[in-house]
Amino acid sequence: MIWIKENDVAAVTENDLDVRRRLRSATWRQRTNLFIFLGPAIVLIFLLYVVPVIVDIFISFTDMGRSLAINEFTTKQYEKVFAGDKRLPQVIGLTFVYVFGTLAVFNVTFGLVLAILTTAIPKTSGIFFRGVWLLPRMSPSVLYIFLWIWVIDPSEFGLLNQILTNLFGVVKPVDLMTNAPVMLIIFSNGFIGASMGMIIFTSAIRSIPEHLFHAARVDGAGGLAIVRHVTLPALRWPISFITIYQTLSLTVSFEYILLLTKGGPFFDTTVYALYIYGRAFENGQYAYGAALALFLIVIGVALALLGWKFFDMKKLLQVPRIEVQ
Amino acid sequence: MEVTFGALRDQIQKPWDRLAARARWMRRAKLAAMYGFLIAVSAPVLLPYFWMVTVAFSSKTGTVDTLILWRAMAILLPFVFGCWIWSTIGTTARQMFFGFAAITAVAVAAFVILVLPDLHLGNFIFIGERNFGDIVRETRTGSKKGEVSGGIDFPSVWLAFANSLYLAGGQTIIVAVIASLAGYYLSRFEFAGRAAMLRSLLVLHAFPVLTLIVPLFLIMNFVGLLDQLLGVMLVLVGFELPFAIFIMKGFFDAVPWEIEMSALTDGASRRQTFVRVVLPQVTNGLIAISVFSFIRGWEEYIFVFTFLIDNVNWTMSLYMFFVRDDILGIDFGLVSAVGVFYLAPSLVLYLVAQKYLAQMTIGGVKG
Repeated sequence: MIWIKENDVAAVTENDLDVRRRLRSATWRQRTNLFIFLGPAIVLIFLLYVVPVIVDIFISFTDMGRSLAINEFTTKQYEKVFAGDKRLPQVIGLTFVYVFGTLAVFNVTFGLVLAILTTAIPKTSGIFFRGVWLLPRMSPSVLYIFLWIWVIDPSEFGLLNQILTNLFGVVKPVDLMTNAPVMLIIFSNGFIGASMGMIIFTSAIRSIPEHLFHAARVDGAGGLAIVRHVTLPALRWPISFITIYQTLSLTVSFEYILLLTKGGPFFDTTVYALYIYGRAFENGQYAYGAALALFLIVIGVALALLGWKFFDMKKLLQVPRIEVQ
Repeated sequence: MEVTFGALRDQIQKPWDRLAARARWMRRAKLAAMYGFLIAVSAPVLLPYFWMVTVAFSSKTGTVDTLILWRAMAILLPFVFGCWIWSTIGTTARQMFFGFAAITAVAVAAFVILVLPDLHLGNFIFIGERNFGDIVRETRTGSKKGEVSGGIDFPSVWLAFANSLYLAGGQTIIVAVIASLAGYYLSRFEFAGRAAMLRSLLVLHAFPVLTLIVPLFLIMNFVGLLDQLLGVMLVLVGFELPFAIFIMKGFFDAVPWEIEMSALTDGASRRQTFVRVVLPQVTNGLIAISVFSFIRGWEEYIFVFTFLIDNVNWTMSLYMFFVRDDILGIDFGLVSAVGVFYLAPSLVLYLVAQKYLAQMTIGGVKG
């Protein structure tokens, strides 16, 4: 009898141990799962976002120049930002004109016009026109700007000048690069920017219930009244979403400007982001570039935080339903 | 009581018909106005692309041969217009088919007679000839080799092509693997700090890497990845990752829980479930983020331009840039041909994968 009991006890402890082992292996597996699934993403994001920000702050308090050597720690870069740099007010002013000009004319307004018009005409034609407007976004930037350079070529071979002379009888070729450079960078960025708004607004218009349009028609509303009282109120969220995100991307991007005008003539089209790039990589003032970039980083984080408003956090953070590891 | 029913009907019917007719005309006029506006604003976008393709295949003297452009336009415009008109007139599939066939036949005939004789592949000389710069300089301007200083030493176009393929392809694979792992974990597992991580990813997905170009350059320099494609590839991965993770999380969120539950009850582990059961459900998402990353890597210019110096590391974007820089004033046809060569892969990829790209939504944007 006793040995049976002993055996029983042994069985219990063995069972107990087994459970404990299994529990331990569950937490172990939980850890390794976290490591396998999330590890690479966390490491890369840490290396490519967090480390550069720290390095940027560090460098901005040094005097690093073209030789990449650090001789002293100093706050003179920030003194230069706030007092010494005569060029900076002009650059910041231009950045405002460029960002809000492009935003107001193309990314929001024109995107909206395209979305409303392409959803009002028959479906296939709508897809065609939207496809045309997506073409600049899908083309590589170097190629897209090559086309612009060709179009505005100041000689009589430029596409624009050929059209002006052949169709409108203009005698003297126009030179937009020297006469209207700011307009040029707004247009070249706007042609690409408009398509983003167009896509988002189109899907928002599509999701408006059909019966609202019918009801408005029955009540005697014309096309414009429908846009004003049915479509636009439904686009409130998408419009503010596009405004925030496009402000951010226009403020930090300088690729097309660098390729098209190189910031010139003189400093006429040098926006803030391009100014940083020029200071750092052309003048070799890495520390000053890092100090300037820090302000852009702060703006970037602030605008990105503003973006939280547009997400349905409850849905995003929905708790998973399986607890097995 | 003398008014008959017929007279009454006439009295009402006539103004009614007039009104209806007016409304129909107004409708047509409005539609025409909308089309007119859309054509007017879209033509400037399309025209340069069309001219680039035509010049690439037709230019002989290096300058833009306008005559052939106008001829090509004179065929293309009536063709598109005809197809469009017919698509509104034709009612049955049979009518549609014969109408389009007739229009296409006329257009092709006109093309063969008016345009085809002038087309040639001479501008694609860069595909087989590394020293095309000297050659076109000699034929166009008459200057001998070595006479003009500042001519750029171009690598073979296939080297640039392979570099671009390596950069875009490698980056795509890394992004696809890491984003699907992370997206799955964020979608399906509960762990401490999950909410915080999702929130910070949301900030990162909007946060522009371009602002970090100065410190990234310095870091690449310190760790010895400057002037190496691998360095740019890693930066691009970081660029795409937060966005791709969100897209993938959205796709994983849409997979029904029941599929996973039944796999788990059948005794599979979470890892097995992920690879064998869930991953096949999100192939559309994988295709979407892969195509998106590839097109991004294919077109990348700023980081490539800043981080790569040696011409054996040139990608297609740098190749195109320097060809434009060097040859644009000398031979328009050649630059256009390089442009066509560079544009074609991303355009084809985009057209093929369009239906997958359209499914990308960042989960949970308010309507």
